[in-house]
Amino acid sequence: MTHLHIPDGVLPVLVWAPGLAVALLLLLLSARAARGATRQHVAYQGALGALVLAVMAVEVPLGPLEYHLTLMGPVGVLLGPAGAFQVAFVASAILALVGHGGLTVVGLNAVVLGAGSALARPVYVLLVERLGPPAAMACGTALAQAVSGVLWLAVVAVGMHASTAGAHRLGLFAAFAFPLWLVGIVIESLVAFGIAGFIARVRPDLLPGRTGAAGEPS
Amino acid sequence: MINTLAQIDYVASAGGTPWHRASALSKLVFASGFILLAVFAPSLALLTWLYGAAWLLALTGRLPWRLTVAASAYPLIFTLLFVLARWDGTLETPARLLLRPLTASLAAVWLVGTTPYPDLFAPLSRVLPRSVGDGLFLTYRALFELMGRTAGLLRALRLRGGAGGPVRRRLTLAGEGLATMVLYGFERSQRLYATMLLRGHSGRICGCRHFAEWGPADLLVAAAALVVTTGAVLLWGVP
Repeated sequence: MTHLHIPDGVLPVLVWAPGLAVALLLLLLSARAARGATRQHVAYQGALGALVLAVMAVEVPLGPLEYHLTLMGPVGVLLGPAGAFQVAFVASAILALVGHGGLTVVGLNAVVLGAGSALARPVYVLLVERLGPPAAMACGTALAQAVSGVLWLAVVAVGMHASTAGAHRLGLFAAFAFPLWLVGIVIESLVAFGIAGFIARVRPDLLPGRTGAAGEPS
Repeated sequence: MINTLAQIDYVASAGGTPWHRASALSKLVFASGFILLAVFAPSLALLTWLYGAAWLLALTGRLPWRLTVAASAYPLIFTLLFVLARWDGTLETPARLLLRPLTASLAAVWLVGTTPYPDLFAPLSRVLPRSVGDGLFLTYRALFELMGRTAGLLRALRLRGGAGGPVRRRLTLAGEGLATMVLYGFERSQRLYATMLLRGHSGRICGCRHFAEWGPADLLVAAAALVVTTGAVLLWGVP
């Protein structure tokens, strides 16, 4: 649901312009935080960004609907907040160029995707020693998905409220979106559980510990 | 979505229309102005004019019409939510709500369908922070390879029984499969880094330098901009 990208022209400028400004500010901050990143880490970030775009095309059937994965939770754990936000921005920008989400709302789309993702690693680091990598990544992903979903709904609500839409229509919309949001959290968390389980067995150094993950700026 | 992207990528590189020969920078500036005009257009007449102009751009760019329809109609799904939410009994409001994103999306499709990605990303990478600018190139470059691998992985999962059983097992298995893609991405980044060093990587990917080389085809972009602007001035106040 969080990557059902918002197109151009449906949100008022008072919503998308600050979103763009916030995204650019976060990009500058993330670039500052990633100053020490090796070229290899930037390439790894690019590969994970491409993976995010590739899995967005994967359809998980949900009865009459289809769910598209985002993997932004696992990417947040693997890259950290700065890298994850950059991946969210780049993915939103590439999607916008093919009409999947607007160019004026790239910032807002990136903030929606990236804000949740940025929280995934702190949650993972907090829980990994108690729960182990799979459950910790699942929890981080659940929170990332929950936060992105709430932000997405908030953006839509603001966009609808800026017009003449009444609370009644917004309530109906929320009633439709809420179950999808919950299902999204469960799906992404289970997939993240599998990802972390496999990486922990094969390349545990890619998972962050107290000192970060392999290939990261120290 | 990815198939659309792959086809657009091919058309952008293989096309031979004057739009394809125009510089990326002039098209980027024109498309940005066009999209902003669509977003801020107050009148339905202007939006209709812009939508018609966007179709003319796409058709003269020889973009396959099915591809253009598929790519430009994506915003419909999301926009319909807003159309329902803002329904006021008139036709003008839904028409405005639909035409804005459709026009903007069509203009974006024209831009990427007539401009190869290194030319398109080169000016963007110069204004974005270094790691983000490089990320644009590296993500796009890795995309089609990873897309193919992901499709192969999912096929293998289905053939080997990974698509059966309880939902929890299926999703966890899919996650394990995707973890192999993460590992592949990591190893790929190591190889790519070594290749970049071998090729004399200077520390920044800037893309090709001819994104701002003006040619006769840029006159066409300027003429299109003039026509669109004239239309906008004339129709701005028309309801």
